Amino acid sequence: MTTASVEPLVEARGLTVRYGSKRAVDDISFTIPKGRVVGLLGHNGAGKSTLMKAMVGLAPPEGSLRVLGLDPRRDRVQLLESACYIPDVAILPRWARVADLITLMSGLHPKFSADRARQLLKRTSVGLSDKVKALSKGMVVQAHLALIAAIDARLMILDEPTLGLDVLSRKGFYEMLIDEWCDGERSVVISTHQVEEIESLLSDVLMLNEGKLVLSISLEDIDARFVALSHDTAVAEQMAAAHPLLRYRTGPGPGGSAALFDGQPPDHVQALGKRMRPSLVDLFVALTRKPELDRTQF
Amino acid sequence: MKSFLTLMQREWIQHRFGWSLLALVPLGLSLLLLGFGQIELQDDSVQNAGPALPVLVAMGTMAVSTLVVFFILWITSLILVSGLPRRDHADRSIEFWLSLPTGHAHSLAAPLLMHLIVVPAAALVIGMAGGWVLSAVVVSRVVDVGAWFALPWGQLLLAMAAGLVRLLVGLPLATLWLLPLILLTMLMTAWFRRWGLVVLVVAIGLGSLVLEQVYGSPLLREIVASLFRHAGQALVASGQYQFTVQGPESVANVLASLPRYVAGDLAIAFGQLLSPLLAGGLAFAGACFALLVDWRRRGASAVG
Repeated sequence: MTTASVEPLVEARGLTVRYGSKRAVDDISFTIPKGRVVGLLGHNGAGKSTLMKAMVGLAPPEGSLRVLGLDPRRDRVQLLESACYIPDVAILPRWARVADLITLMSGLHPKFSADRARQLLKRTSVGLSDKVKALSKGMVVQAHLALIAAIDARLMILDEPTLGLDVLSRKGFYEMLIDEWCDGERSVVISTHQVEEIESLLSDVLMLNEGKLVLSISLEDIDARFVALSHDTAVAEQMAAAHPLLRYRTGPGPGGSAALFDGQPPDHVQALGKRMRPSLVDLFVALTRKPELDRTQF
Repeated sequence: MKSFLTLMQREWIQHRFGWSLLALVPLGLSLLLLGFGQIELQDDSVQNAGPALPVLVAMGTMAVSTLVVFFILWITSLILVSGLPRRDHADRSIEFWLSLPTGHAHSLAAPLLMHLIVVPAAALVIGMAGGWVLSAVVVSRVVDVGAWFALPWGQLLLAMAAGLVRLLVGLPLATLWLLPLILLTMLMTAWFRRWGLVVLVVAIGLGSLVLEQVYGSPLLREIVASLFRHAGQALVASGQYQFTVQGPESVANVLASLPRYVAGDLAIAFGQLLSPLLAGGLAFAGACFALLVDWRRRGASAVG
């Protein structure tokens, strides 16, 4: 993903965002071309929400940040006409009915389609005449997602968009997002802690750890760069001696151990185990855990 | 422009129920009380009006109705406006509004326009329309139904229209005079939350006292008093005209002269706008607005 491409939708160079003396995002650089689905992963407080806020002009960036060719802070209004955003603590106004929100969005967002919103809402349990304050948390999220997905934007930025949704609703939303919203030109940036659920949807991953960008890579490149070897516990010491990024358990029994390497391990180590595809979760743990922790100790 | 109007529409959607209640409940109650209660006319000039009594009663009813509905909604709007900067933080929907392509200045100006001008202006019209209905009840009770139909409607409506125009034009003028205090209150609420109003009152009170007692300057007190006085004069009666009712002819004269009086009174109100106090006040209001916009922009960074 860091490979240069023509007119990336997002381009950050030496981007830092501070809250007082704290660097919430610390000198990171990346690009997001069009047509990508990017997972933004990180622990709580890693800087995900701050980065997303900076991308829509709601946090003051240092360094260079261009989104859709615009300066998000200076051109926030113009940017939000072509980029839609769901913040992590999004709460729709409680006094409004869902139909009121459609009316207001129609007037406030030039690329919002009221018909599309109604169509998407029909797939949910939310009615047009429902008052937001009468909806459950999950229903509010459903309504918000339907409203945002009805915007003909070039970039969608979703900060924990499915928080509070049940599994079926989450699945339904992601299917709609990939099958209907994404068209090869639009890009999506999703931050979520439910990594397993979205792994199959992603084309790229950005991993943040304490404000630092620890990984920016496409999923195809993950397979080429990282190697996971499942192995018997009997050879655990030899595996450890090869300094893997992470040692972890994949299941019960003596063969249920694995080691994750950044790059190809030596041949004699590869011979000790069986190569398998590293999961995003394991990669995430390997790159963002505290060094003093090792999951084999749990 | 569309988004600005939509932001105003948002105010209507959010407050329509309350506004409707505040406008219609007093009118409904008045209708009940005046329709079924006891009506006593105690003012001598009214009692001695003779044949002009129905005109005076109708005019009085329409004037009182207009002013009551107007002041209820105007004061409510002023109270709502003081809490405008933080209301979307309070229900945590601020993130939703910030995710939409609307500028911070627009997001502040549209509700201000709605609360300070549009709603009070609508209240004037509704109050007068309600007063027209009430006048039928009151005149019927005090005199008889026929007297209401026999009113000199041409003159009466012209006079009431003139009065309404005076108030409708006076409203934005009065708002201009009050704008420094309104925006300062909003800024204090933005900075100090619910303590904002207390801080403002204490600051103005203490500031006036210190300036007067220690430095012998009543400047601050006079500025605040002057802003209120000018606002009142801008809204109505900035002239020196005195109405005296001594008989049917004088009532007819008053009705006939009201449009001319209104024009003269408005001219005085507009003339008072050419004041260094207002210029300074508006510059101060502009600074408060800029600080509110900056606060909203900075608040956006700090949210979450």
